[in-house]
Amino acid sequence: MNDVNEAALLHNYLLVGMVLFVIGMTGFLIRRNLIVMFLCVEMMLQGISLSLAAWGRYHNDWGGQMMILFIIAVASCEAAIALTLVLVVSRRTGNLDVAVWQDLREEGELPFVDRELPEETTERPQSPVLPPAGRQPDVDEDELMHRSHV
Amino acid sequence: MNGAPASWCFVLMGQQQAAAELLADSGRSGGANLATSPLLGAAVTGIAALILLLPRATRASRRVGAVMGTLSLLLLFGGVMVPLAGMSSQIVFWALAAVTIVSAVAAVATPSPIYTAIWFALSLLGTAGLLLYQGAQFLSVATVAVYAGAIVVTFLFVLMLAQPEGHEVYDRVSWGWYTKPMSAVVAALLVALLSFSLPAMPGPAARMGDRADQVLHPDHMARFGDTLFGKHLLSIEIAGALLLVALVGAIAIMIQAGHLRAERAEGQSDE
Repeated sequence: MNDVNEAALLHNYLLVGMVLFVIGMTGFLIRRNLIVMFLCVEMMLQGISLSLAAWGRYHNDWGGQMMILFIIAVASCEAAIALTLVLVVSRRTGNLDVAVWQDLREEGELPFVDRELPEETTERPQSPVLPPAGRQPDVDEDELMHRSHV
Repeated sequence: MNGAPASWCFVLMGQQQAAAELLADSGRSGGANLATSPLLGAAVTGIAALILLLPRATRASRRVGAVMGTLSLLLLFGGVMVPLAGMSSQIVFWALAAVTIVSAVAAVATPSPIYTAIWFALSLLGTAGLLLYQGAQFLSVATVAVYAGAIVVTFLFVLMLAQPEGHEVYDRVSWGWYTKPMSAVVAALLVALLSFSLPAMPGPAARMGDRADQVLHPDHMARFGDTLFGKHLLSIEIAGALLLVALVGAIAIMIQAGHLRAERAEGQSDE
């Protein structure tokens, strides 16, 4: 009975891990925001982690959990390097679109062009704004000179 | 896979033993039939849900997509997944799996990257819960601390630094019209193929010792640390070196980019 339950647990964890991996993969293929693409890769890693943990428990071996620990270490390295690169790239081009970098495509490939986009039809919800109250405070000119402009 | 729905009925009637036996039988016979399998329904509704939920150029109602996604999840949970022994453990597993999968879909589907990061953090919490349920206590805490605590927060910082205001065009469209359906179909095919290979796994006979002596030992951290710094000592050293290299590399890239920008600014002022 207990063994059957362990097999069922393995089966279900593999399914959940698989679904998580596949959702991340879909997101990576579809989304065009650099940062969202990296988040999708992290999601795929999570799916792998789940199945590793399940296998480790099923085979009564620590290997699965060790692998997850190293996955976490490598994922944090990857996040550090990737986010630095994203920052550099986004400062150069001004946005996070991957399509901006399609100059790097193979020779002979046709460039990808966006078809025309209709504007968003509905208004975005407005954040509440506090009404002004009281009087404007006096501003010290000297202090303004010292303050660094962010 | 044929036995899964029937065994599920047994669980509903509170007969876990019968369900388990039925499952063991169906697993070994391996007579999978796609047409009668709930896997097909789950795959089709999953494809529809992904296509309908993913960001679109115009704001459209996503109610149909959400209904499809729920249906797909129910089919997956009720039909494809194997019932666990005991109602409470079953409910806990379902709740954790639902949180993980639903927030993962939401992370991919929302057009605003900030919300993507937040949904991803929620999905990580679900994963951490699943790991804890599996008996991996340290990894569960490490996932919350390292992923949700550090990596997602760094992502949010970079988003605040780099993301322009509002929903950008590239957050609302994909690569042409066919990318979305194609990748949804590929995703569902991958899940379907892999799940069909699952019943061929080693059955309950492939039992490897007493788990309470190894991975489910009460002294979890002691055993974990023993294995980590005994058997995997070299690997942990290499991982430490890798972390250091990544840190130095990130700083080096940033400095290099700063030099380049300064040179370009100088060149422009000379002209």
